[in-house]
Amino acid sequence: METRTQETPQFFLTLASTLATVWYSFLDLFKSVPGGAWVLDYIRASHKNDPWRTLLEVLLALLAIRYFLASKYSQDENDKVTLNEREVDDLIDDWEPDPIVPPLRRDERWQLDSIPLIKGGISSHVTVEDPSTGNITTDVLSFACKDYLAMGTNETVKQNSIKEIRAAGVGACGPPNFYGTQDVHVRVCEDLARFLGAEEGIIYGQDFCTPTSVLPCFLKRGDIIIMDGGVNLALQKSALISRCDVEWFNHNDLDHLEEILESLKEDLSEGPLNRRFIVTEGLFENFGDSPDLKRLVEIKNHYKFRLVLDETNSVGTLGANGRGLPEVYGIPRDQIEITIGSMAQALGSSGGYCVGCHDMIYHQILSSNAYVFSASLPSYCAVAASTTIHLLEDSEKSGAVNPYIQPLVENSKYLHQSFRNSLVLKNFLIVRSADYSPVVHLRINPLLRKSLDLPEGYGGPGSVIIKAVKKGHEELYFDARYNTESYILQLIINKCVENKVLLTRTKRVLHHEILPVVPELILHCNSKFSKPELKRAVSVVEQAVTGVLRGLTKSKFAEYAADLEN
Amino acid sequence: MSLNGSQTDFSKWSTRVPNAPPDDRPEAVRAEMEFGKLTSDKWMVAAKCDSKHPFKTPIADDPPYYVIIMTYLNYFFMILIGHIRDFFGMIFMPQYYKAMLPKDGYPPWYSSFESFYPRRLKGRMDDSFARPIHGVPGRYTYCFNRVSLDYNKSFLYDGTSTPCLNLSSYNYLGFAQSVGRCTDDSVDALKMRGTAAGGPCDVAGHSDLLRDTERILAEFLGKEDSLIFSMGYGTNAHLFTSLLNSKCLVISDSLNHSSTRFGIRLSGAAVKVFPHNNMVALEQIIRESISQGQAKSHRPWKKILICAEGLYSMEGEYCNLPALVHLKERYKLYLFVDEAHSIGALGKHGKGIAEYFNISPSKIDIMMGTLTKSFGAAGGYIAADQVIIDRLRLDITTNTYGETPPPVVLQQIQTSMRIIDGQLNGNEGRERLERITFNSRYLRLGLKRLGFIIYGNDDSPVVPMLLYTPAKMPAASRMFLKYGVAVVIVGYPATALISSRIRLCVSSALTKEDIDKILAISNLVGDKMCLKFGSGMAGGEKHPGDWKKGIRPRWSLEEVLAKTPEDCKKDIY
Repeated sequence: METRTQETPQFFLTLASTLATVWYSFLDLFKSVPGGAWVLDYIRASHKNDPWRTLLEVLLALLAIRYFLASKYSQDENDKVTLNEREVDDLIDDWEPDPIVPPLRRDERWQLDSIPLIKGGISSHVTVEDPSTGNITTDVLSFACKDYLAMGTNETVKQNSIKEIRAAGVGACGPPNFYGTQDVHVRVCEDLARFLGAEEGIIYGQDFCTPTSVLPCFLKRGDIIIMDGGVNLALQKSALISRCDVEWFNHNDLDHLEEILESLKEDLSEGPLNRRFIVTEGLFENFGDSPDLKRLVEIKNHYKFRLVLDETNSVGTLGANGRGLPEVYGIPRDQIEITIGSMAQALGSSGGYCVGCHDMIYHQILSSNAYVFSASLPSYCAVAASTTIHLLEDSEKSGAVNPYIQPLVENSKYLHQSFRNSLVLKNFLIVRSADYSPVVHLRINPLLRKSLDLPEGYGGPGSVIIKAVKKGHEELYFDARYNTESYILQLIINKCVENKVLLTRTKRVLHHEILPVVPELILHCNSKFSKPELKRAVSVVEQAVTGVLRGLTKSKFAEYAADLEN
Repeated sequence: MSLNGSQTDFSKWSTRVPNAPPDDRPEAVRAEMEFGKLTSDKWMVAAKCDSKHPFKTPIADDPPYYVIIMTYLNYFFMILIGHIRDFFGMIFMPQYYKAMLPKDGYPPWYSSFESFYPRRLKGRMDDSFARPIHGVPGRYTYCFNRVSLDYNKSFLYDGTSTPCLNLSSYNYLGFAQSVGRCTDDSVDALKMRGTAAGGPCDVAGHSDLLRDTERILAEFLGKEDSLIFSMGYGTNAHLFTSLLNSKCLVISDSLNHSSTRFGIRLSGAAVKVFPHNNMVALEQIIRESISQGQAKSHRPWKKILICAEGLYSMEGEYCNLPALVHLKERYKLYLFVDEAHSIGALGKHGKGIAEYFNISPSKIDIMMGTLTKSFGAAGGYIAADQVIIDRLRLDITTNTYGETPPPVVLQQIQTSMRIIDGQLNGNEGRERLERITFNSRYLRLGLKRLGFIIYGNDDSPVVPMLLYTPAKMPAASRMFLKYGVAVVIVGYPATALISSRIRLCVSSALTKEDIDKILAISNLVGDKMCLKFGSGMAGGEKHPGDWKKGIRPRWSLEEVLAKTPEDCKKDIY
């Protein structure tokens, strides 16, 4: 026993002395690290003052380590219900999924049948086929086509495009960063930038993808955009996807915009310098009007915001030479930091584009999803757009409206005024769009709509549909009144087609939209229409509208709704 | 381009990308440059899969450890130097960092952190990306000659170009042509219908050409109906908002394309990711998801959708379709397959992954694909049952807000599809299909025998050749270009950090002799740059079982060229 007690302390002693040596050499080492001595002094002093604090700090450090090591999903793990294999199998057998898409309802079916069937090319004059009877109506005036300047059928554009197909085939077969950049792609970017007065340009394969890809490049969490409360769906979606803070100002209400900016001023001056944008359209897709760009530019410069202008509808249609809204107001393009547009409309080709300063474009080349991860536009499309731009530029005369655009401007004005001044239509329709817009938006007279008990707009903030989207109730996406009102407009359209005039109506899908929708009759003007043709179109629309809307009462409306269900 | 800096006079070179030089070669010469004539009937093989073992998991060979260590070191130094340059640069040379610094109270366009990778890593090899080309991206592609005197900030062009064997374009069946039936038809369509599409399909009208093309496509795929859009990326990006809502779950392969991920994010659905092609992990996730229901509320999911790709474009691997279909049926899920790369390129009749595995297309709920690749056109499609398409036609945002595909593109799709299907030009479709299978098999086996590490399934036309070290990416690209071959290099973030690679896209337009040439050049590059790390476990060994004995495949070029063309047609390889 005694011998043993003597041996054990010996062993402990050795251990203790080794540990002490290690500890002190560790302390020495720690002291030799720059700042180490200071840390040690601090710990020593704090321990002397308050030994409990050391314990607390050690615990805190342990907690921090645990927090960092903990899995990201640990909360989900805690949330899980423990089930054995049999219970899992039972639950799996019980589970019944919803159908992948809700099948079309009986009373929705007409929407599918109302898509106009066109035989041959889509241009200002088309041949329409009746889907049910197969009857063919030739030489119909198409107010549904967005090729405003009829560039798609222009001989020069066609010839140059054919030349390009004969030189480079149809598809580009590769993304722009991997051997998909052909000489003509570079040319069209230069042409767009020069035509619009910007430093550089970049093109995308589809116009609808452009905003949803451009904006997220420059917007991350914590950045802020202030959006017009009437923007098109692509812009709404791009705000949604970029996860930044979004504020909405009333459509085209710049006073409201200023109010918002003023209220944000204090917050913004304190926080970090985040990216800030005001987003609006050159010519609103949903309204056919434009913002007061001059004042908008003043406001955004004053508050140091950047401006995003979607010129999908306005380039090629507004301004003396089709350079869009800035040309109308005489504002240089460099005042608009990001311009987004479409080559599929007035430029008579396909695809979308974005123009602006070098840094902004350069960043998109590297990080814009739809540019990096998608094949280039077919080369002939680039040539078609380039040719259109050259045609517009070459026919430019100072002090006069470009001869390519002149007929469109006149036709738009004529069409608007005819509808506005029409005594026949006065009680039935109002003209929502501005006279300069190439797109005419006709709404059912608010008084008439009120008498039918129709809401001011369908969907939008706080509506049943927005709630249904949030909760995933797909069966509630359908709005019967929206459906019936659209159907009544379709009846007007059908009547017009019989008389060789094809127009269209709002076909917006309520559950995609964040903003309220009002059904409208829509006419896209075209530079190819002659005065007599327009005159005929107006009278055809007048007849059809009176035919359908005269005597439209609540009971008649209910009848239509009942009709649809049978 | 490599340059002999001192001798060349660059004063006449321009920073502007030149226009295509005039081309007055006779049509026959051009046709041969776009699509090489078949040199012998021997160089064709029909694609088929082994019915007993439909899905063979491709073996991913591992490089030696020193390669991995070198790769990490490579990144470490590049990142370190990049940060040092950024740190001092922003202090001493702010003029080069204008875009990343606040100015006059405006925030920078992008932060230096956000753009670190493109500037400091990719910037070093920018000359290997976005090389401007002209003409048809067919068998040969014409790369403009350029040099950079300021480390890839800008490029100088002398207006000339070099024809390079094209392994970079997604021109699988060689329909990128400026002559031939397809192009003639497309030109006719343009003459008749113009260049413009004219607005969204639901608004401007559903043209007869679009209707016919949709019908032909649906028949080709074996589905009831289809929708065609003008952009492949856009098809995925705007599809899922019409299918899913926030109470739905998507179980997505980890290597799915960015467009699918974007689309799912836009739809607001919950997402779970399963490791690439790992069916065991997928089943586990499915079982857990169904039994646990939605997070927090534990209510059952409204729908569960599995998203996979037919052919993964960076790996050259198929999805395990038989297993996916089995899981989908067992658990009542929906299956979405993106056939961007597989449609046209796989299957005996080019009908994609379902045909390759001999599975009825009706088992796939939503078939999506692009028309850019095998068909030499542009755009994407969705094919499904009539009920689904009817709903989507009214609901999908591209149809109601976007643009329709222009007539020329539609005509190109239609004609090329009819050629593939054998309705036009007799045997031409079959020849194209069998040539791509032969070319893919030959190139893949040849490279494996030479000793390269190659990923992917045997019949797949995407042949990734592993480089590992990022510094080898630009070096390989430049060297291949010097020898007249255009290749695509891919690195992080498109692949895992360490597995930088060359991606070779095989085409029917290439002849057997072209592949011989590519193998010879690869052999040269591989020796010079030390790229042959293959252990033989993924194939290429002389005698089966060699790799277990530690014998690594290092065939001489002569041996490879002599034996591989016949060998590659056999089932065992």
